[in-house]
Amino acid sequence: MKLLSFNLRDKFGDWWDSSSLLQRTIFRVVLIGIFFALPLINNPIIDTPETSFESVLFYPLIMFAIMAVGLNVVVGKSGILDLGYVAFFAIGAYTQAMFGIYTDLSFWIVLLLGMGFAMIAGVILGIPALRLRGDYLAIITLGFGEIVRIVAVNTEAIGGASGLSDIPPPPNINFLEFSVQETRSYYWLSLVLFLVLILGIVRLGNRKPGRAWEAIREDEDVASFMGVATFKYKLWAFVIGGAIGGMAGVIYASQVLSIQPELFTLNLSIMILACVVFGGMGNIWGVIFGAVLLGYLPEKLRFLSDIRILIFGLLMVVMMNIRPNGLIPRKKREKISEKLK
Amino acid sequence: MSQVLLDIENITVKFGGVTALNNVMMQVKNNEIAALIGPNGAGKTTVFNIITGYYQPNEGNFKLDGQTLLGKKPHQIARSGLARTFQNIRLFGDMTALENVQTAADGLNKSGLVGSLFGVTRSRKDEKQSKETAHELLDFIGLDHRAGQLARNLPYGDQRRLEIARALALKPKVLLLDEPAAGFNPQEKNDLGALIRKIRDKGNSVLLIEHDMSLVMDVSDRVMVLDFGNKIADGTPKEVQNDQRVIDAYLGVVENDS
Repeated sequence: MKLLSFNLRDKFGDWWDSSSLLQRTIFRVVLIGIFFALPLINNPIIDTPETSFESVLFYPLIMFAIMAVGLNVVVGKSGILDLGYVAFFAIGAYTQAMFGIYTDLSFWIVLLLGMGFAMIAGVILGIPALRLRGDYLAIITLGFGEIVRIVAVNTEAIGGASGLSDIPPPPNINFLEFSVQETRSYYWLSLVLFLVLILGIVRLGNRKPGRAWEAIREDEDVASFMGVATFKYKLWAFVIGGAIGGMAGVIYASQVLSIQPELFTLNLSIMILACVVFGGMGNIWGVIFGAVLLGYLPEKLRFLSDIRILIFGLLMVVMMNIRPNGLIPRKKREKISEKLK
Repeated sequence: MSQVLLDIENITVKFGGVTALNNVMMQVKNNEIAALIGPNGAGKTTVFNIITGYYQPNEGNFKLDGQTLLGKKPHQIARSGLARTFQNIRLFGDMTALENVQTAADGLNKSGLVGSLFGVTRSRKDEKQSKETAHELLDFIGLDHRAGQLARNLPYGDQRRLEIARALALKPKVLLLDEPAAGFNPQEKNDLGALIRKIRDKGNSVLLIEHDMSLVMDVSDRVMVLDFGNKIADGTPKEVQNDQRVIDAYLGVVENDS
């Protein structure tokens, strides 16, 4: 146990605090470079058997990572347990399917529309739901996730239970060609959007909204006594999380050609929540790590065929016992150097 | 001269059949340290919970600087100048000391979420300002050398003082302190008394709930006494100490059946 709880994180943090701008830039460029190069690497160690590694990179890996970062704003940062996150993903996917099939709107506009609809859904759900707390709120969000799916099953206009097919892919960008066979393009596109997303979320987290969310998570009543407009910031967390889920949904639908309501079950909500908890609630880097691992492991274990989910579950149980706060917990490092200049 | 800042008018609060506060009137004047004392369960913390907007009174009204705050949300009341600390320490444990204070200071700037995301000049200026305010306040309570430490890792006394700094970040017209000396030794109580005076000298009024009589009598300009939801005395420390009803409330009355 002791061996596994060694503190790489603090060591890295100390290095990071004392590093120069040049060192940081090099670190960032190399890290981002590695992620961009992943689909080009043909290494049997990281390759997934029986499924194409390139498609695994797109779904589940990067899709999980985007959704986990979105859900982390809600669950990890603000402490609002949302069990129906898949609803936003579904709304994004159906937006792309409907507008892609029936209109000539450009993919980029539909991407914004999908995020917009998911945000509206977040407001509609949030206004009544966020007046409650804890378990009650979790149950409402759970219901919301199911409602969206069941509405999709029962609405013939959006394909009913058989869903929608022939969803057009995004237009090609220079050498990037989007088609079912070319999952790499989708991965790269998602990665670019993901990086922009991280920039935005980290920025919010370091500023006033981030502090407001954390204060709400720590003690909602006290936050309001200290001048934090708690309802407003909870709603913002919900809406931002929703928009990110919607974005993932649009990209996903543009790749898979056809979608059915059965893709958007509670299982997926739970899976994304697991990424957040497993990685380290409230820490964006932990959450990304968690999503990558939880997306990758089931594919890597595919050679175990029937018992792979069992093994996967066991691995999760073991990991959560060793690191109950997640792989990279949110616990902040103390910055002794923080002084008045 | 001594203008009334906080004016609590005939507040009545009932929880079911229990009357927690009965027609209570209270005032805190400009630049004054007022203390609110009374036996356990007298309704002292209920007064704080009413005037910070956590409970709504059944009857009555309260004003700060002539402005009615009745019915306002807690965060609106906090921003308009009534900030409190808590009897049992309630810091944001997983945030640093600096962030604790900065979170409260944020309430006074107008930049919103969209501005924080896309804005450059204004949001950055606000960030800088709230950080400076937070550092100044930590310096004021002598805790700036621990600005980067997590609130939950601070020693008990520092946590109590950090709560005061956090409340001060809202630039309150009246600072509400709920048993700030609980768990302090005599030396720490002395220091706290000096800190409370220093806060008053900066131009804030203070309303203090406290059980430690030596601190109360030492620091207060005026003392109000609550007993079973009724205000039974209001005067200088000396007057209150000699008030027969106060002595009865604290020591009990000998029932005389004859």
